[in-house]
Amino acid sequence: MNDKNLNSEVRVKVIEETDKRFNNPVIIVGFPEVGLVGTIATSFMLDKLNFEEIGYIDSELFPPLVVIHNGDIKNPVRIYSDKDGGIIVILSEIAISPSIISPLAESLVDWFKRKNASSVILLSGISVTNRLEIEEPECIGISNTKETKVMLKNADIEEMLEGFLIGIYPELLKRCKKEGVPGTLLLSQCFPNYPDPEAAASVLKSLQKLINIKIDLEELFVKGEEIKMKARDLMQQTRRVIGDIQKNIEQSLPIMYG
Amino acid sequence: MFEKINEIMWMDNGCLEPLYEIEDLDDRFLITFDLPYVDKDNINLYVAEDSIELEASMKKTLCWERWGTIQRKIIFNQFKKQIKLPEKVNPEKTTAWFKKGVLNIDLPKFEKKHLVIKI
Repeated sequence: MNDKNLNSEVRVKVIEETDKRFNNPVIIVGFPEVGLVGTIATSFMLDKLNFEEIGYIDSELFPPLVVIHNGDIKNPVRIYSDKDGGIIVILSEIAISPSIISPLAESLVDWFKRKNASSVILLSGISVTNRLEIEEPECIGISNTKETKVMLKNADIEEMLEGFLIGIYPELLKRCKKEGVPGTLLLSQCFPNYPDPEAAASVLKSLQKLINIKIDLEELFVKGEEIKMKARDLMQQTRRVIGDIQKNIEQSLPIMYG
Repeated sequence: MFEKINEIMWMDNGCLEPLYEIEDLDDRFLITFDLPYVDKDNINLYVAEDSIELEASMKKTLCWERWGTIQRKIIFNQFKKQIKLPEKVNPEKTTAWFKKGVLNIDLPKFEKKHLVIKI
């Protein structure tokens, strides 16, 4: 079944390849950004929880490439779900370039609404200059509704109160707020330009406080070097797309009180 | 962007180019290399006034059946990278340390002499 956006001008399409019914799912998103935190975290989660692939996101704006996994041709931005249809995970194996951000966010939030998502949780990192001195990266959160802010507080996840956010995630949060979809962004302290499995473990630890899943994170530490090696190409791509300057702005304070 | 995606960072001689970062801090360069599978004792760093060269052997030879974007078998056991520096540095005062698989190199630039011109 194809669940395409009806507007022909929409340049990003969410394609479902299943008739599965979803029950107010929690939607988790992991796109490549600093430290590849979101991508490593969602890949690991999918591997451990045996989710099934249910669709993909297609766009003329994406690079003309496919990913080969076990001999199968796959779209680089894929959608997975658990057996019961209670959790959906969106994973990207390509960096999201600035020109795609707005149409991608628009199509995704439209789809989140049509799926009656109970909550959208975005996984990423926040680069810190002293990452080498940090033994256990901390995770902070940003939410777009009063209820999800309370959830963060109850889960002992510190809320980001001031700062800038750049990239696909703030666009998703903003559009989710406009459309009444509860959204939360989890950010773990990470290396800006090197894959960071420890930061991915930190963000998954926080995710487990927000939703009912259980993942043994030990392997993220044990296989850290292997994960770093496998993520090299994507890290290189992501560095080029995001750019250091843009992400460094996130550590600055906004000038206005609001 | 698309053509850059297909750029690869490994060579056919068992060497791999590490991920690295150069920061220009005005009076010095700070260079870091991400070196998974490397122990401190297996890093060789050569510093000249205008370049640095890194060789780092891995703890084990890695063999990947389907490596990255090129999806072919590859075997490697060493990181190797030479960087040409945009300004001259003082090799004598260079320091380096290795933590969490990341090599940090602090390269002080030669001091610039400033003359006061009386007008």
